[in-house]
Amino acid sequence: MSYLNIRGLHKSYGATPIFTDINIEIAQGQFITLLGPSGCGKSTLLRCIAGLTAVDGGQILLGGEDLVPVAPQKRDIGMVFQSYALFPNMTVQQNVAFGLRMQKVPAAEASKRVAEVLELVELSDYADRYPQQLSGGQCQRVALARSLVTRPRLLLLDEPLSALDARIRKHLREQIRAIQRELGLTTIFVTHDQEEALVLSDRIVLMNGGQIVQSGDAETLYTAPADAFAAGFIGNYNLLDAEAASRLLGQQIGSRVAIRPEAIHFADGGIEAQIRSHSLLGNVIRYRVEARGVELLVDVLNRSAADLHHDGQSVSLAIGADAIREVA
Amino acid sequence: MSPAEKRSPLFHQLVVYLLFLILLLPLLGTLVYSLSTSWSATILPSGFTFKWYVALWSDARFLAAFGRSLLVCIAALALALLLILPLLFVVNYHFPKLDGVMNVLILLPFAIPPVVSSVGLMQLFASGPLPILGTPWILIGCYFTIALPFMYRAITNNLQAINLRDLMDAAHLLGASTWRAAFMVVLPNLRKGLMVSVFLSFSFLFGEFVFANLLVGSRYETLQVYLYNMRNDSGHFTSALVISYFLFVLLMTWAANRLNKDKS
Repeated sequence: MSYLNIRGLHKSYGATPIFTDINIEIAQGQFITLLGPSGCGKSTLLRCIAGLTAVDGGQILLGGEDLVPVAPQKRDIGMVFQSYALFPNMTVQQNVAFGLRMQKVPAAEASKRVAEVLELVELSDYADRYPQQLSGGQCQRVALARSLVTRPRLLLLDEPLSALDARIRKHLREQIRAIQRELGLTTIFVTHDQEEALVLSDRIVLMNGGQIVQSGDAETLYTAPADAFAAGFIGNYNLLDAEAASRLLGQQIGSRVAIRPEAIHFADGGIEAQIRSHSLLGNVIRYRVEARGVELLVDVLNRSAADLHHDGQSVSLAIGADAIREVA
Repeated sequence: MSPAEKRSPLFHQLVVYLLFLILLLPLLGTLVYSLSTSWSATILPSGFTFKWYVALWSDARFLAAFGRSLLVCIAALALALLLILPLLFVVNYHFPKLDGVMNVLILLPFAIPPVVSSVGLMQLFASGPLPILGTPWILIGCYFTIALPFMYRAITNNLQAINLRDLMDAAHLLGASTWRAAFMVVLPNLRKGLMVSVFLSFSFLFGEFVFANLLVGSRYETLQVYLYNMRNDSGHFTSALVISYFLFVLLMTWAANRLNKDKS
């Protein structure tokens, strides 16, 4: 029995459909990521779950109760926004306590719970500061604390890391995941960053054009993309049409093919190819090679400088049969 | 450092001080004149006295005019606030597309010169279903339209600086009703724009003469009309009036600045 059960949800603005017939089941305590390019409907779907945007039809069952007719104030759902949405006129303490004030929690208990949750996000020393005195990462931790303090049934995170710089983003995402695990909080995270989705999620729901393309754990989505879109969006798949794939592999292939760049190796006696260019991604070197008139990306672990192949050099490629995935 | 660069700060300062002097000179002259016993055939006044101020502030007619000006301004601003705040909230929160229409509407009072619009207002309100010409009501309504653009612009800028939609959404999800969210979250963040626009409009309206004189005149004598009616009186007396008016507006401006600063 799933905890959150979304059934046949659809939404359109006028004649423009935002998403159609969305079905998702989420078990209690799971961390789900809605992943997709901007405009795919993932943020609107999240807002519909929160009740901030009305749906046109379908059900959102949380613990058996349909949330669709319930006002957002009564849904008992916590949400963190990309813009932090902290109240500028209130201190960190007042921001976090706001939800408890609305619930009329007695002051003594409220201040105890605020202190606890500020401890959890490591901001106990900042309780009396105003949001404009905090960095972006600190603001987002306050927003997280504010949504956690009311002990919501469901936590929604709407691209909470997108406005932060890379180093803080990595640190904060680990902190969010650790807190989520500790509290066993069912969480839906929205992002357009495939790396974030792969690192964080128990399960990823990949969306495109208002529909769910594929849903599964990170492993499945990465190694077995359902279609060309999934292959293009996750990882840096080489996508070849049937004709190019047949030419490259020397065998008749009837559909489009996706090959992961790290599944192609430099090995003697394989397909003749020439290095066009290369770029260093840190621990990985990404080569752009041309083989039989097909351009491919090849990722090789950066072991030592001696292994580096130079631009224009002739190489030979080996592609394992299991790495070649036919996609629709 | 070249000599030209060395000299320039001094030169720039000189220009600024000179400008200040030119701007302040009439005011200083009025101040001295209002404090002098008589100042006609001599270079310097023959003596100093507060008697003009005493005469002014003990004149019942002046005090009544002062009170009327205050009342009309405050009523107009209260009306403006009462209408603009909900209007702005609705436009920005529910119908952001209306912002363009509002911007045009709000600039209309600027497009018509006061003399022209007051003639129109006189015709419109002299008779008919709402014969309020010559009463303070027409002045309150008219001042409301003058204050509207100032207040609308200042508060809109303020609203756009805060992320209204996300703040409201966050407050809703934390259990606040729209009213509570508006009062606890949105309104406190509009304080700065509110203060600035209210004091700005007040200073402007308090000295407004064209509408006050043409629409109401002596039938409901406001401060500016009183000053105008006193023009044949002693110059020392009217100078005291001008300085009193100026100091009052200065005080308001200073108060506005103070109220704005203490938050940060």
